[in-house]
Amino acid sequence: MRLSRFRVPVLGLLTLLGSCQRVAYVSKASFAPVTSQPVGKTQPEDPAVAAIIAPYHDKVTSQMQEVLGTAPVALVKAAGESPLSNFVADLQRARASQVLGQPVPLGVMTNGGLRSGFAAGPVTLGSVFELMPFENELVVLDAPGPVVQQLFEFAAKVKMAVSGATYAVTFDGFPKDIRIGDQPFDINQDRTWAIAISDYLAGGGDNMVFFKTLTPRPTNVLLRTAIADHIRALTKSGQPVTAKVEGRVKQ
Amino acid sequence: MTTRRDFLRQSLLGTAGLTVLGGLATSAEAATAAKGPVKLTILHTNDMHSRIEPFPDNGGQWAGLGGMARRAALIKDIRSKEANVLLLDSGDIFQGTPYFNFFGGELEYKLMSQMSYDASTLGNHDFDNGLEGLQRQLPNATFPFLVANYDFSKTPMAGKIAPYKVFEKQGIRIGVFGLGIELAGLVADKNFGATVYLDPVAKARETAAQLRGPEKCDLVICLSHLGYKYQNAKIDDCKLAAQVSGIDLILGGHTHTFMDAPEPIASPDGRSTLINQVGWSGINLGRLDYEFSPKTKRGGLASASVVPVTAAC
Repeated sequence: MRLSRFRVPVLGLLTLLGSCQRVAYVSKASFAPVTSQPVGKTQPEDPAVAAIIAPYHDKVTSQMQEVLGTAPVALVKAAGESPLSNFVADLQRARASQVLGQPVPLGVMTNGGLRSGFAAGPVTLGSVFELMPFENELVVLDAPGPVVQQLFEFAAKVKMAVSGATYAVTFDGFPKDIRIGDQPFDINQDRTWAIAISDYLAGGGDNMVFFKTLTPRPTNVLLRTAIADHIRALTKSGQPVTAKVEGRVKQ
Repeated sequence: MTTRRDFLRQSLLGTAGLTVLGGLATSAEAATAAKGPVKLTILHTNDMHSRIEPFPDNGGQWAGLGGMARRAALIKDIRSKEANVLLLDSGDIFQGTPYFNFFGGELEYKLMSQMSYDASTLGNHDFDNGLEGLQRQLPNATFPFLVANYDFSKTPMAGKIAPYKVFEKQGIRIGVFGLGIELAGLVADKNFGATVYLDPVAKARETAAQLRGPEKCDLVICLSHLGYKYQNAKIDDCKLAAQVSGIDLILGGHTHTFMDAPEPIASPDGRSTLINQVGWSGINLGRLDYEFSPKTKRGGLASASVVPVTAAC
């Protein structure tokens, strides 16, 4: 009885639709109590996947132990002009200049941008990863006078050094006697100054909002790579990993 | 309001066809009563950023979370309970731990293949070793990368990336397509080379129409790396959902957004498009369960809520 009731319409459909015989489905989303499931410590590992990871893990661990150079004394972060920031800002300037094939008069690295210093002794690739865990890229900003002035005003507040320049800080925290590559800085000069910096800071990170209007030129070099390469080059030429506070910020 | 199925009936069959389809619906329902509705479980990740192992225990906010061996076990457990599973990713598989710096994404793709991912789209960081670096890793992936709005025809990736793929599970057709973010300004020029970024809204309309129409899909999923929501005019998943009809679900990425539940957005035809995104680094595995029953009208949403996985497994 039921069968005969359906036979005609189904046959009719076949005739009418030809190849379009699929039943149309409707979806209904009924979410399990969990739509976002944390992968936490209570979740055991899949042994097959863990076994695939193991040899890669060992390789990473051993590569991280590769000694790139030696630091006779620790390179540390410090308030004001910091040896570690000097070290990184200087190598940024050198690398950017080499990549772009032009002089880069200024280099900037904040204390906050570097996560930890180098202990005295061997400097490993692992230490470089700890110093610079971020995937920051080295970029170059072409800053006109007023932006350079804002950079030094920012720097003067925390007595931060700027690679390639010296300046003094007034009693009320403003920069004066700014010299870039031994030339007195003139805000009204009709030119730009190239600044080697991380893409993070160039984008206004660490409150360097005055950089946000400038379009960074890429170097396609990760900052971490630039640091590791520089240390390898130092070692190759028989030099230790050192940096010092040398009066870039005058009191 | 005219529904899609109504429209189809009217345009294809005219008034006479209505009776015929009506009869079919009844018979299909009878068949369903015997077999029960078809269930589909969608599992998804986004922005895993080379987080092979869990965050270290001293790793701050996410200490001890994530880890691909754990995720694999969780997925295996779900597969053992559910007949129809689709495992999808929304891009930015690369970059973030030394595993990427040392092996260029090889391990990420191998592990995703081991977990039987069904498809992924490309995120901006997947270009971090350039088109050459990406292409070199493709043989390690047993799953396709889907992007409808990048034209790779003038690059070494030509012919290696499809706009969409249709999956069939117990007669249910699921169309999955991908959308990538604008690369200029986000990715170094030399890393994306001659890849041409095409308007995601136009490509989404075109692809959704293709999947709904000629491909006869019952469910259309967009793997998006556009980002969840921006305050400015930049295209995002929310704007996409509001401008394009025919997408049931957008699995998003890029903004590392932790969503407690999928967000429904009304698309131009009045139907709801769901958006979901599950943070980053494999801290979470997203899960959405769909039920399909043969009917003439699309059903509404049942419910959406969140429960910790630690309790569930």
